[in-house]
Amino acid sequence: MNKPIYFSIIAVSLIIGLLLSFQFRSSGGNAGGIATERYQELTIEKLKVETDITQLEEEISDLTVKIEAARRGRTEAAGAIERELDKIKLYAGLIPVTGPGVDIVMKNIEASQFGAGFYSVRDEDLLKVINDLRGAGAEAISINDQRILATSEVRQAGNHINVNLVRLSPPYNIKAIGNPGRLKSSLEIKGGLVEFLAANGVTVEVQQSEQVPVPAYSGIPRFDYAKHVQRG
Amino acid sequence: MKGLQWTLAVGGLILGIMLAYQFRVTSEINKTEPVQRTQLLALQLNQLKEDRDSLQEQVNSLRTEFDRVSAGPQDIELKEGLDQARILAGVTELSGPGVEVTLNDSNITLKPGENPNLYVLHDEDVLHVLNELRAAGAEAISINGQRLLAGTEVRCTGPTIVLNRDKRLAPPYVISAIGDPNTLESAIKLKGGVAETLQFWGIQVGVKKMSQVTVPAYSGGIKFEYAQAAG
Repeated sequence: MNKPIYFSIIAVSLIIGLLLSFQFRSSGGNAGGIATERYQELTIEKLKVETDITQLEEEISDLTVKIEAARRGRTEAAGAIERELDKIKLYAGLIPVTGPGVDIVMKNIEASQFGAGFYSVRDEDLLKVINDLRGAGAEAISINDQRILATSEVRQAGNHINVNLVRLSPPYNIKAIGNPGRLKSSLEIKGGLVEFLAANGVTVEVQQSEQVPVPAYSGIPRFDYAKHVQRG
Repeated sequence: MKGLQWTLAVGGLILGIMLAYQFRVTSEINKTEPVQRTQLLALQLNQLKEDRDSLQEQVNSLRTEFDRVSAGPQDIELKEGLDQARILAGVTELSGPGVEVTLNDSNITLKPGENPNLYVLHDEDVLHVLNELRAAGAEAISINGQRLLAGTEVRCTGPTIVLNRDKRLAPPYVISAIGDPNTLESAIKLKGGVAETLQFWGIQVGVKKMSQVTVPAYSGGIKFEYAQAAG
């Protein structure tokens, strides 16, 4: 009489046990959150690669046109080299450029609550500002009219800061060309550089502008060590 | 007695339905939309990256072709100008004497309560090393095979750094720089310099003088959207 009831209870307990274990497995293996986060990361990366592809395709058609021109004759070849040179010089920072962007002035507050000269703008502050602007897509940057090249240093030398081996003194005027809103917000974001520097008595004024002139590198580029690798 | 049997039967039925439903949910989780979407996107991205790399190859060979076609005794000055501008613009592969600087996270075992963040490489540290190399006259620099341009940012994202838009690098970072090997080496190893500061936190800094360092060309598109040549 009692036996079937025992069997029933055993069967029900078994089923409940199975259910429980399945429930555990499915909630443990649910990767929904991670998947969405990855998705966002991948989407942004994809956009960047697509930009690369468009730009490379433009570069290919540009070079193809120049090669055809160069095949036609000497004068055409000279013209093609000149146009290629202009393009490369633009990217290298050897040509003055203009465009929308931001105009930034950094200076120490004369008499801050800590007393004058408590904190002065240091090379690392400028380096971080430049890095933030680059991250926000700045295409050309200058500090006190010194163009920032791939080889430019920003280095403390006493009370001055050297850029391109030229000695600069405060106030520092940084000009950057790019999306004005994006450049401005990259610095003024909460917890960003403007806030940090303001807390140390350095004022940073960021002005958006439709026309920001960025000068060319004023020196003569010289390379004693680097040689082009010949291929093919 | 009958009532108990009915209860058991109904209970069994409900449990059975739940069980079946549970099975379906479990087997469907791997097919849910977010997971599938992400896998698909990852595949697409890989394909796009392959496309980009082959376009990059094409650009490189077109540049070589252009040099060959436009070669001639004329325009020597223009050509020299082009060669120099290309070094600065970072569009060609370069080699020459220089140094290889290796940076790696700290190998110090943390004591409880210590801030692990202090012992990890930051973007600032990498920026600092790069700045020292530039000040010592480095002519071309790359990190883990990524060429540094005038517009290259170095940003921390979690344990990795990102530069040149989407190139994600993980430590150890190997920085190759072309220039005078002795000057470059001493710029890093200077007393009170960047190597000493970083080594205080256990961050590993190695400098190797090299008679031949290769710095690759920038891979990816360069195009100014906002900046235009001013007259």
